Amino acid sequence: MNKALRSPTIFLLFILPALILFVMFFIYPIFSSIYYSFTSWNGVSAHVKWTGLENYTKALEQKRFWVSVQNNGWFIVFSVFIQVPLIILFSLLIAHVKKLKGLYKTTVFLPSIMSTAVIGILWGFIYEPDIGLLNQILGTFGIKPIYWLSDERYAMLSILITNAWQWTGFYIVMVLAAILSIPGELDEAAAIDGASAFQRAVRITLPLIRPIISVVIMLSIAGAMKAADIVLVMTKGGPAGSTEVMATYMIKYAITNFKYGYGNTIAVLIFIFTVIVTVLYQLLIARRNERIEY
Amino acid sequence: MTRTWKKGLPHLFLLLYLVVILFPFLFVLFSSVKTDNNAIALNPFGIPHKLVFHNYVEAWVNAKISTYFFNSLYISVLSSVVSILLGSMFAFAVTRMRYGRVAAALFGLVLVGMLIPNNALMLPIYTLVRKLHILDTHWALIIPYVANAIPFTIIILAAFMRSLPSEIEEAAVMDGLRSGGIFARMIIPLTVPAMVTVFIVNFLGNWNEFLLANYFLSNDDLRTLPVGMVQFRDQYQMNYAQMSAGIVFSVVPVIVIYAILQEKIIEGVTAGSVKG
Repeated sequence: MNKALRSPTIFLLFILPALILFVMFFIYPIFSSIYYSFTSWNGVSAHVKWTGLENYTKALEQKRFWVSVQNNGWFIVFSVFIQVPLIILFSLLIAHVKKLKGLYKTTVFLPSIMSTAVIGILWGFIYEPDIGLLNQILGTFGIKPIYWLSDERYAMLSILITNAWQWTGFYIVMVLAAILSIPGELDEAAAIDGASAFQRAVRITLPLIRPIISVVIMLSIAGAMKAADIVLVMTKGGPAGSTEVMATYMIKYAITNFKYGYGNTIAVLIFIFTVIVTVLYQLLIARRNERIEY
Repeated sequence: MTRTWKKGLPHLFLLLYLVVILFPFLFVLFSSVKTDNNAIALNPFGIPHKLVFHNYVEAWVNAKISTYFFNSLYISVLSSVVSILLGSMFAFAVTRMRYGRVAAALFGLVLVGMLIPNNALMLPIYTLVRKLHILDTHWALIIPYVANAIPFTIIILAAFMRSLPSEIEEAAVMDGLRSGGIFARMIIPLTVPAMVTVFIVNFLGNWNEFLLANYFLSNDDLRTLPVGMVQFRDQYQMNYAQMSAGIVFSVVPVIVIYAILQEKIIEGVTAGSVKG
């Protein structure tokens, strides 16, 4: 029995392919990024010049870098304070309707299976100043055309709305699954005791789905930190750098401007910032959410 | 009266949300059969007076949507299949073979991969791909896609394989199978449901991937659908009717797949996350 399942050759043979790829594409890149973040290298020449912390001080002094950090911050703020409440509201609504439940569930999920690039193009068209859908709708209320993507005041907001449009349904389905897995007796018992639907939602359902909401927040933070494709497709970081995020800033330097060393510095900073935000969130909020059994 | 109001109010909100989801698609669909920008501007919401299918022909031919489509299709399928193959081998070795501590350590290592923001690793991967001399070939996407999917694939498949009863091996050993045979003849067939789920999630991820596809390929004939669409938009910026036709081409296949597999897709995406 044990002999049949104890063959070092087979074990190695089964482990190695995945392990080699994992080391090549996860472990090695981390160390390579850290190493090159201390150099000024253009990514091609044979000569790699060690510059110590110079890239880091340079990044932290750059105004454009801090604008990109701030924009990642906007992604987090928007998803935590606007998207999450909407996610909870719509999940509760869908969980409690009897008719059309399936329709709501499948339709809200639809945008999240589509390519961010194509959604960026689609919304770029909706935001188009002259013939785009949004300004046409506003026009019927007598509001003058707004240059959604080319006005510094609105560009970031426009991207955030598009991003929310794409991902809200994805999280709704996750939260909904959690709500529907709560045993029905709890809700029924409260209903017999005379609790209103609103009371039951706030006192029973919400506390029980706190763990999944925590997961949703964590996932949105992770998503916010790596947002890049939507910005590249919709504004390329413009107008005047106003929608730049850390990842697009990194790409701009490393690939377009051949500052490979500096680009890796930004990559390491993205990593550090993500860890900081995650740890802060865990310490301040998530720790209070003890596991719930029912 | 209040009862119907109570029942109707949630539907009112939800239907409003559906309109926000669906209306953009409808807008693009209508725009794709209008003559030009002028026709779109004059009648943005309505069904076009005259249906113009010319836009579709133009998009398909000019924008080479067909080329991009098939590139995307085979890259996504191949990468997803290979990551499932490698992932299931790994998962089998760490969950069913008798290597307690080593197995646990290896599994823990791979778990860490889930926490790494992979966008931040794009630059070293770019250099790696260039050193392997596969930049500007499809391998430059296939190999990183396979690697990227490995942590998720292993975690889901390992969880599934762990839940299979150990009597399976006992029976198999009685029949004279060795570990390779147990894997191929017993575990793989039993793991198929989990594999389907993992395949769909990986496939969608690869099909939609933009950053690597945009920067690792410069030959136009090799491009994938998302990148091809962005390029097409940049070229035909001013012709929104044609652009809409392009959007329809790239969205319809996904909607069809979704319509057929929606149960499985939703199940796959929520797998493992619900219990928090």
